[in-house]
Formats: sequence, structure tokens, C-alpha cells
Amino acid sequence: MYFEFVTKDGYLTKNDKTTPDEYIGDSKEKDMCSKKDNAMEENIKPPTSLYLRLEIDLVCASLLIVALITRLYNLNEPNFIVFDELHYGRYVSLYTKGVFFFDAHPPLGKQLLFLAGRIAGYDGNFTFDRIGTPYTENVPIRALRLIPAVAGSLLVSVTYRLMLELSCYQWTAILAALLVLFENCFLAQSRFMLLESIQILFGLCGLLCVIKSTRKTDAASVIWLCIGALSLGCCFSVKYSGVYTYFLALFLVGRQVWRQMSIPKSGLFLILSSLWRLAILFVLPLSVYVGVFYAHLTMLPKAGPHDSVMTSAFQASLQGGLASITRGQPLHVAHGSQITLRHTHGRTCWLHSHAHVYPVRYTDGRGSSHQQQVTCYSFKDVNNWWIVKRPDQVSLSVAHPPDAVRHGDVVQLLHGITSRALNSHDVAAPVSPQSQEVSCYIDYNVSMPAQNLWRVDIVNRDSEDATWDSIRSMVRLVHVDSGSALKFSGRQLPSWGFHQHEVVADKILTHQDTVWNVEEHRYTKAEDRREREREIVTAEMIPTTVTQLTFWEKFAELQYKMITHAPDAPHGHMFASEPAEWPLLVRSIAYWLSPNSNAQIHLIGNLVTWYTGTVSVFLFSSLLIVYALRQRRACLDLPPKASQKFYDAAYILFLGYWLHYLPYFFIDRTLFLHHYLPAYIFKILLLAFVADHIYYILQLSKKSRPLTNLFIISICIWMAYVVLTFKKFSVLNYGTTDLTENDLMNLRWKDTWDFILHKKG
Amino acid sequence: MSNKIRKRNTTNDSSKIWWVTFGLLCGATFVTRFYKVLEPDHVCWDETHFGKMASWYINRTFFFDVHPPLGKMLIALSGKLTGYDGTFPFEKPGDKYENAKYEGMRIFCTTLGALVIPLTFLTIWEMTKSLESTFIGTVLLLCDVGFLTLNRYILLDPILLFFMSCSIYGAFKVRTLTEEGLQPFSIRMLAWQVFLGAAIASTISVKFVGLFIVLFVGLRTIADLWNILGDLEKPVSLTIKHLIGRTVTLIVWPMILYVFFFWIHLTVLSKSGNGDGFYSSGFQARLEGNSLHNASAPRVLAYGAQITLKNHRTGGGYLHSHHHLYPAGTGARQQQVTTYTHKDDNNRWLVKPFDREIVSGVVIVRSGDLVRLTHVATGRNLHSHRERAPLTTKHMQVTGYGEDGIGDANDVWKVVISGGKDGEEVQTVKSKLMFVHYLQACILTTTGKQLPKWGYEQQEVACNPNLRDKNALWNVEDNVFEDLPKVSFEVYASGFMERFLESHAVMFQGNAGLKPKEGEVTSQPWQWPINYRGQFFSGSAHRIYLLGNPVVWWTNLVFLAIFFVVYTVNSIRQKRAEAFGKPIQTGKEYDLLNAACWNFMGWALHYVPFWAMGRVLYFHHYFPALAFSSMLTGILTEYLLKSISSYLSQELGRTVYHCAIGVIISTTVYSFYMFSPLAYGMSGPLAHEPNSTMAGLKWLESWEF
Repeated sequence: MYFEFVTKDGYLTKNDKTTPDEYIGDSKEKDMCSKKDNAMEENIKPPTSLYLRLEIDLVCASLLIVALITRLYNLNEPNFIVFDELHYGRYVSLYTKGVFFFDAHPPLGKQLLFLAGRIAGYDGNFTFDRIGTPYTENVPIRALRLIPAVAGSLLVSVTYRLMLELSCYQWTAILAALLVLFENCFLAQSRFMLLESIQILFGLCGLLCVIKSTRKTDAASVIWLCIGALSLGCCFSVKYSGVYTYFLALFLVGRQVWRQMSIPKSGLFLILSSLWRLAILFVLPLSVYVGVFYAHLTMLPKAGPHDSVMTSAFQASLQGGLASITRGQPLHVAHGSQITLRHTHGRTCWLHSHAHVYPVRYTDGRGSSHQQQVTCYSFKDVNNWWIVKRPDQVSLSVAHPPDAVRHGDVVQLLHGITSRALNSHDVAAPVSPQSQEVSCYIDYNVSMPAQNLWRVDIVNRDSEDATWDSIRSMVRLVHVDSGSALKFSGRQLPSWGFHQHEVVADKILTHQDTVWNVEEHRYTKAEDRREREREIVTAEMIPTTVTQLTFWEKFAELQYKMITHAPDAPHGHMFASEPAEWPLLVRSIAYWLSPNSNAQIHLIGNLVTWYTGTVSVFLFSSLLIVYALRQRRACLDLPPKASQKFYDAAYILFLGYWLHYLPYFFIDRTLFLHHYLPAYIFKILLLAFVADHIYYILQLSKKSRPLTNLFIISICIWMAYVVLTFKKFSVLNYGTTDLTENDLMNLRWKDTWDFILHKKG
Repeated sequence: MSNKIRKRNTTNDSSKIWWVTFGLLCGATFVTRFYKVLEPDHVCWDETHFGKMASWYINRTFFFDVHPPLGKMLIALSGKLTGYDGTFPFEKPGDKYENAKYEGMRIFCTTLGALVIPLTFLTIWEMTKSLESTFIGTVLLLCDVGFLTLNRYILLDPILLFFMSCSIYGAFKVRTLTEEGLQPFSIRMLAWQVFLGAAIASTISVKFVGLFIVLFVGLRTIADLWNILGDLEKPVSLTIKHLIGRTVTLIVWPMILYVFFFWIHLTVLSKSGNGDGFYSSGFQARLEGNSLHNASAPRVLAYGAQITLKNHRTGGGYLHSHHHLYPAGTGARQQQVTTYTHKDDNNRWLVKPFDREIVSGVVIVRSGDLVRLTHVATGRNLHSHRERAPLTTKHMQVTGYGEDGIGDANDVWKVVISGGKDGEEVQTVKSKLMFVHYLQACILTTTGKQLPKWGYEQQEVACNPNLRDKNALWNVEDNVFEDLPKVSFEVYASGFMERFLESHAVMFQGNAGLKPKEGEVTSQPWQWPINYRGQFFSGSAHRIYLLGNPVVWWTNLVFLAIFFVVYTVNSIRQKRAEAFGKPIQTGKEYDLLNAACWNFMGWALHYVPFWAMGRVLYFHHYFPALAFSSMLTGILTEYLLKSISSYLSQELGRTVYHCAIGVIISTTVYSFYMFSPLAYGMSGPLAHEPNSTMAGLKWLESWEF
């Protein structure tokens, strides 16, 4: 892993200024670590054919080895489900079985876990039921945890390389890498089936490549940018929060383009150079993203427990599930069709009615029509069947050929069991009084004329006379008299409505809850013409293949559902925390507690690093302000090169930190400490950079020599503290040590941390 | 010599033109705003809220609202001065005013709303010193029907927009003065800064969206200071002087004013009203007519006292129990324990030590003590056990258990004073108490969820195993114990600062609680700039519909896009000029673009944050942003016309220039004339019917008039 193959075709005539990175042609494996000195190569006359160059960066390699040791040590312990392994493990099982599932996060991370599981021969037969369940023999737990652990280890080397790229001292780079290495929260997050370490690794890798690209020209720049773009694409295909890293990279490239503009070169050159950059940065990550979803949908062909989230069309395109019911049903809804109508987006339920009426008076004193209730019911039921009828025809049987209903036609809907027509009128709905009530009605009551005509408005029609197709067509039923649309209001009826969901007619037509689609469908067969009916039915059958949706249709729907999906994460989770609490590590997260001892796992940071990191952010901000003010008064404190380096750090590390942190203040969801980790890695880098900068200032003047030494010594002492704290808290990462109450009290450095103890006896 | 005279003549001329334009616009404003101002003579839209609140101010009864008080106090003041007596109920929109004197309040609001137009004129003038920009920008705002509608009723928006315009005007006035090099502590400078400070304080005291104008002024001030600092001919001390001047006038002074407005608010509302329940016991003790006012109780809690416990959550009730059991299927069939917001004998609990029934002498309850609480009316103990709570299944059920105060070990609770030390005495009202269940290690809390009918729709009480529950704080309110000396509740009554802070906590909680319910259709930010859907102010025979003038709004939208393009192109051109060492252009055009840039920033500040807000949003939230957007359009129009005519010959250029301005103005005015019935009232059939007066004007399907 830590050498590079370079293939060369002899064009390599050395000139002294180039550094090794610039003449990499097609390297198969890009280096994460490359050696500093290239003196040896200077002397060798390169051969004119293929050749292989081997470089090992000892520092980088040894950092990696130490990281691997810490991350991989006892990886199969604890042999229990730890925290979110519950979810990710479940997804891995579903991938193994090819069963479709819905998750609000993009799939790449889960696919990687699955890949590892598959190679190790995981058969998917383990139910991930709750945190703390012991794993059985058939779960290759070591393999499943391997990828996050390796990613977490590589993170250390990438940090090192990134700091070098920011032209820091090598010692600073080592310092940064060590800080990441000895950080309990990264250790904990890397050792289990969790995705943050993978996301952060891809993010930092991408950033590193993009930075390299901005500092080079020509081919090397293109290659680095491509690799960076791919890596960034992977980053936000693991978790959407990776998109902040992508924005940062966009910003950096934008900044580069902006700076190029002040170079006196031709306009065309500038336009081209910025265009190809932007093209790479847009196209590659997006294709990674789409590709990952392509793989996702291809890998999951079977219907499963989650598919009720998706539309009927999507469900029917999967194997089994709805497809097995709807297979062979007629396609076009016609006069006389018996249908079930499903609420397309959001909550799964079917239009429903039953022989109960709305109460005469509601508890708030309003009156109702006292007609038969119409609701939306979340379970399959015989009362979900409706018959489509043209208002002017009496017979309910399907004609030959079927009289297909088209976009814009006016129909009535008869409830199958009670044979009353779907009706709406100017009476306030029971729970949403701003909308109209919908009821089932037959002309008994003379005082109220029937208003039971509905216009079929096909939302996704291809042409103006499109037929109403089962499953595929999304329809809006518009009430002819009032112009309102049949709508699922989202509210539940009280006990008189059996807590089913309310259905209303609403003035606002273009709401997603006004969209319905036919799910199950059959033609009404009249008794006497049974033979012919069967003929008709067989003639109109869809071939016995499953409904086909193109990849793009599926992709678009999945994206739409993922965006609109409201997570029902419990508010007030015991270990939830708020963004404002993160910089001071107010809360930890309990990941696991051993069933038989007090050994436990927590996500908790290294408090020493954590606090110094927060201080460094303040220090850096004040430095930034001071330099800016001084510069405004034309006092240049730093030589141009140092100043350049300082502002680079400001744009990459400082901005990166806030970009990954601030958005959480506006997210209205239950948040946890691990959401802070992508920001935190930037903070650690910033911390190392601040140390670097202070050292730089101190060594500028000869007089402050003793001060410089003092600074180095204090950094060493502080580093020792970091390592000690890491060691002390690592028992909470490995989870193999039984802890007494006393031990836990010793670890409880803050009152707000909650550790768990088994009750005695 | 003759040259000089001519120059004076032209300045005289232009100043005359300026005054004529200004006068003309003022006149037009007056006419448009006050035409039919008293119609309809019924309650329109949110007048029902703000009218009601004005009545409460006049009657001095306490209420709770999510907005800060200044706007409502001004409405109340104007009502009081014009003879409104605070008796009209303002029950719902559409109620006829009959004899209530609403005119004063409406005219007051309309006046403030009308003043926005001249202020805008002055502001654009201050930004650009160009009459064309000023004129176009002002006319756009003047001819916007939505702006007119919103500014004619008893609402907070006219007041907000007025103070906002004052702030913007002040900010640019201060910029001009700074650029003229006025000394930081000169009277004129300070006077304008004090004006600006007062304006921003007033804006934020009307509605919290005023925060954005505070940010805008903050940015403006930083830019001023940055410019002063950049002038290397002046010493740094000048910047520091300016900084001190602005800190005092733009930070300290507005803060004082803001607090002062709350002081008036809290002083005026001295009587108990419907808002009491939202506030703590200490707060309520200040309100005349509240049962805590002028009451007295022992200072500390002793065993044997009968107490009521109030929950600390906003609007939290009293710990309550009654002779009814939990129904079958929800945990154990034992007596219900709930919280109840009204004062009732069933809220009384007797405090006993965990191991004895009777305590001799006076023993004070201290933090860390183990106690039992016996419900006085039924003799059952407060009890919890390993059963699910009725609604929140992760919590444990809390019941009343035992007979005549004899129960079991699950009745024992540990009293802990939040933030106190072990052994501290429990004080009436002041101590925030937590009750930790001794055996189950859970904490007594209320979830705020309403129980179904069997629980009489009171709120659920449960025992939360997560001890960090923020709603688990209680305080002793009534404390009946004979053997201790009583002190007056005056002692507990919160001081002004405490009440000030508490009312903020309650307001923010109220604001955060304004969440759209599932399935509810709310206005969304993307709909606003495109004028997607309006808002009915008044229905029935005299329909009024708040909707922007589409010509103005869509022009504004286009110009926002144009600005973006122009600004980007210009920046690139400058950067390129820099590359080739050409001089960077300055002058009139640059000033115009700079002013446009500030307006763009103002627009973005007043619009973009709404995208991130989780609360319920309304169409009228866009109007502050619209003001900026219109000014931007005015300025950019001139910039574009100037640029275009500079490419043409002088003669042709001037003709095109004036024609374009003429077309713009006349289109705007004509569209105003067409859409004005939206503001002045429509009757008859709706617009989609052919015989309507508004036929053909329903340009978008989503408009509802």
C-alpha cells in the first residue's frame, strides 16, 4: 500500500525544479505517503521503458501501523450488537438477501460493510433485534467491523499528508496525526460498524487531492482533481453530511479560479481552465452518487418490510410483495372497474369507508352531515374496494371493449360493500374544519342534493387523453361542484372514527397529499356474461412480468422519498445532545453495556485535546482579526509566504470547521455527539496548525530562543497528557475491562457524563 | 462669473425638482393610503389579535404573546388617546365594530405605514443622491398593492416597517456623515446615531424579525469603521473614537430602550389576566387579582405542611389527583395522577417523612430527604412502579396508592433541590425541586401530553428514568403550616430583571412552539418572491386580499437576477483590469452598484433566514425584504439605463433613457390602478367568473380572489 508504481515512457527528462509528484503519469495506486528526498532519483538516468518506483514514507507508515494496532486490537470484542450496528447490521443482512429497504442515508457505506461481510461469507441469517444481543457464530463480526477500522487507521496517515500539504513543519504534521491517533472518539467510532470514519476518510482524502490539484498545473492537476472528485463523491454517498466537505472543495477550487483571474493571461484560457475544473467537480461526484444508487437498486430486487414507504408502482417493480398480488390485473381503469385507491406519498393507507356515520355533533359544537364516514385506513380490508362508474350508465359491468376512463373524465366512485357514492359538500371536515367533509352518500335525504361527481386529473400523464392506469397513474380526484381535491389530511379521527385517518376535500389542489393511485384492480363481471368477461380480462392482462420502472424513475422516487422522509427519531433520547454542547463535550453516548459486568463502551472524546481544540479556535479567530486589522493599517506582520500559508489554513481548516458545524444549529432533529466528528477533525488540524504558527512566530526572532524551547517542552508535556488521557479512557472504547463503581467515578470527569452501572444484587 | 450663476441656477433648479418630486410622492402616498381607510368597518384578519391585545393593555390585564410589546403598546396608546375604551371583544375576523372607536387605531397604523414611503424616498436619495433611482424605487413601493393592504390595518406590520425604514434611513445618513468626515463626537453625528439606535431598538421591540435589521445596521457600521480604519492619513485613534461613539449609541442605548419598553409593558399590565398560567409562581405574585398576590405563607417547608406543587415547564400545571382510576389496559388500575392548570382542592398534598406518619415539632424538609406525599382529598400516596405510563411508554406510570396515607416502599421519593447542596432547606416558591423515586431511580415529570377523556384531558404525569429531564422541576406554591411564621409573598415576587428574563424565555418557547401540524398547509418561503399566493384579510361582501402587485413583484424578481449577473460580471472585469494593471473604475456607476449591493444584502438578510426556520410562516413575512428589493430595482434600473445609453449617441441615449423611465413609471402606476380593488375592497363574483370586476386579472391559478 505504501509504495507507488509509476509507469513511464521515457519522456522523463529531469529538470531540477520538478518534485516527484509532478511527473506521475498513470500511477496505479496514488500515494498517500511519498518520500521527501528525491536526491536518489536525481542521479539515476531513467530507463526508457516501464519502470517501477518504490517509495516508503517511514513516518507515515509507522503512524499507520500504530493506528492499525489500536483500531484492530480485539476487533471482535465485544461480541454483541453495539449501538447503531443494530441498523447497519440489519441493512447488511438485507443486502445479503437482496431485500429492498428504505433508509434516509445514501447507501455506499452500507454497501462497503456488506462487501466485507460477503467476502467473509456472512449469510444474512442473524436478526439484529436490539442493542446488546450477542452475535452468533455465523456473523463474521471481525470482517464486518474491518472496513471502518481500516478507514479509521488510514485517517491518521491522511491527516499527516494533509498537514504537510498545507506546508506545515513535518513535526506539526506528526503532531496532528498523533492527535487523531490518540483521540478516543475516533477510536470508538472506528471500531464498530459505523459509517463516520469512512465518511471522514473519503472527505479528507478528497480534500487532500483537491488541494494538491490547486497547487499543480497541467496533467497532474487534472489527475489529482479527478481522484479528489471521486473521493468526494464517495464521501457524500456514505452520509449526506459529507456534502459539506464537497462544498468546501468547491469553494477551494472556486478560490483558485478567482485568483487565476488576476494573472495576465488570455480570457479564453481562463474560461477553459475554470470550465474543466468545474466540470470535473460536478460530473464525477454526481456520477459516483448515481452509480452507487444504481448498484443499490440492482442489489435489492426483492420486496421487503420497508416497501410500503414507496409508491405502488415502485413496490410492484420489486419481486414478491405487491407485485405478486397485482400481477395479471387489468391495466386500464374503466367503467365498472373495482379498485383500491392508495394514498401515494407519505403514509401508506387506502381510501376506506364503512357503515358508520359521522356523529351529529362534534365535541367542539360543530355539526356534521351525519353521513357515512370516509377515511384512509392503513390496512388491507374488504372495505377498501371502490367501483368506478360513469354517471350516465346504470349497469356496473365492464363493457367490451372496456370503456377506459381518461384524464379529465368525470366519474363516480361507489363503495363496494355499501354501494354508496363518494360525496363531498360544504360541511366542515371533522378534524380539519378548514376543509370540506367527504362522505359516502345515497339520495335518501332530500334536504341535501348529492354532489358525487369527481373529475379524474392524472398528474403524471403523457398526453391530454391519457388513460387511467392501475398502479402507474397518479390521480387527483377533483370534486366537480366545489373544485376541491380529495386529500389525506394527516390527522387521525377520534374514537368514533376508529382512529383511522381523516380524508377531506381541500381547495388547495397541488398538495402532495391529494395524489392517489389505483393499487389492486379487477373488472366487475356480470353473472350472465361470464364467459365473455373472462375473455376480456385475459385480453387486457398485463403480461405476467413485473411492472418495470426504469432506473431513473426509481432513482427519482427514492430521492424524493429520502428528502421528504421525516425521521421519527424519538425526541428526548437519553444521550441526545445539542450543537451548542459539543465544543465542551457536555454529553457522551453510551454505546453498549456488557450484560454480565460493568464493562461498557462510550463515545467520548479525549478531553485534553477537545478543550485545547476549542481554545485553538478562539486563538485562531483572534489572530485572524488582528492580522486583518493590522493589514488594513498597512502593517504586514508576516512575510508573504507565511501569510499565504496562514490564509490557506484559514480557508481550509477554519472554514471547514464551521462549515461542518454551523448547519447543525438549523437542523430540527435529534442530534448526537457523533454528528460533530466531521467538524472535529478539522478542529484538531486547526489546533496543530495554531501550534505550528506560534512556533513559527517564536523562532522568527533570535532573542526568543529560550521561549521557543519552552514552547516545545510544553507541547511535549501536553502531548503526554493527551496520551495518558487516551489511555485512561480507552477502557471505554475497547469494552473488555470490567469497571468497578470507583473506576467509573474516576472516569467521570464531568458531572454531565452518564455512565451506566448494573444494580447490585 | 456667468458660469457660476448658471451652476447656482441648476442647483436651484434641481433642488426645486427634488422638492416637487418629493411633494408629489407624499401627496400620492396620502391619497392612496387614506382612501377608504375606515372600510371595512369590521375586524379584518389579525386585527382580532392585536385589537384584543390593545384592549388588554387599556384594561391593564396581563396576557401572553410571542411578540415583544412595543407595537401593541403603541396601538393601545393610540386607541386610548382617541377614545377607545377597551371594551370591544375583537372576537373573530368579520365582527362589526358598531360603536367601538376603532378609527383612531387604524388611522394611527395607516399613518405609520404611509410614512414608510417618504422615508424610502429619503433613504434611496441618501444612498445614491440620484433622483431617478429614488423616484423609481419609491414609485414601485408606492404602487405595490400588497404593501398598501398590509399597512392599512391594526397590525404590527405597519409599525414594524416604519421603524425599519427609519433604521435604514438612519444607517445611510450616518454613512454619509461619516464619509463627509464629521467628527465622531460632533452633535450632528451623535444625534443621528442616537436616532438610529432608537430606531433599531424600536424595530426589534415590535417583532423579533427586527433582529435582521439590527444585523444589517451592524454590518453597515462595521463597513464604516473598516473604511475609516483604511484611511491611512487618519490616526487609529479616530477609528477608536468612532468605535466608542457607536458602541454607546448603537449597542448600549438601544439595549436600554429595549429593556425600558419591557419595563413599561410589565408595569402597565399589573392585573391578573389570561396569561398568568404561562409564568412562574414568583411572576404571578406580582399580578393583582392573582391568588398569589398579597398572599402569605411560611418561608420554608416543614413536615406536615399541606402544599401545592407547580411544574416549571411553560404553562405547567399543578400536581393533581382525583377519585378516578387509570382505565384497564393502561398500567395498574390505580388512582390517576395528572397535572392540572387550574387551582383546585385536589392539588393539595401533605408532606411526610418516609418512615413516620406524624412528626412532632417543626422539622424542616431539606434537600436529599426521603419523603412521601399524600394526596389530601383521597388519602393516597404519590406512587410509581414498573408499569408503562399511559401515553409516554418509555416512562413509568405514576399513581395514587395506599389508604389513609399507608402505602408501600414505592411511595418514597427523594427531594433534591436543583442546583442546591444536600441539606439545604426547601423554600416555598424559590426552590426548584426534583422528586427522584427511591426504588426505581426515575424522576417525577410531566410530559405535557393531554390524556384522553378518561383523564379529563388533563396532562400526563410520569416518572422518567432519564434524570436529566428538563420538565422535572417543581416548586412549592401554597404552603399551609400553622407553626411557622408566615411571610408575605411579596418576598418571592420576582424583581424586574427576573421577570424580564422570564418573559423572554416564555416568548422564545412560544415562538419555537409555533410548529406547523402534520398535513397543515403553510406558506413556504419559495412562494413569496413569485407572489404565489396571497392571504384573505376580509371575506364576504367586502373582500380584501393581501397580494402583491404582480408587475412590481416580478420586476423585482427579475432585477434580483440581473443584479446577480451584473455584479458578477463587474467583479470579474475589475479583477481582470487588476491583472493588466488598468485603473479600477470609480465614480457614479460604482456608487450605484455599491448601493445596490447593500440593498441586495438587506434583501438576503430578510429573506434567506426564513428557509431555515421551522416555525409557521406567513406571506407577510416577506414584506421587509420587498422594501429592499424595490429599492434595489430602482437603483439598478438607473444603472442599467445609464450603461445602455452610454453606448448610444448622446441624443439617442437621452431619448431612450427618458422613454424607458416613462414606460416603467406608467406601467407601474397603471398596474396599481388595475389591482387596487384588492386593497380597497372587491365585491360581486370571484375573478374566475366572467362578469367579475376583476375578470382577466387572475394571472395565476393559485390566486384566490
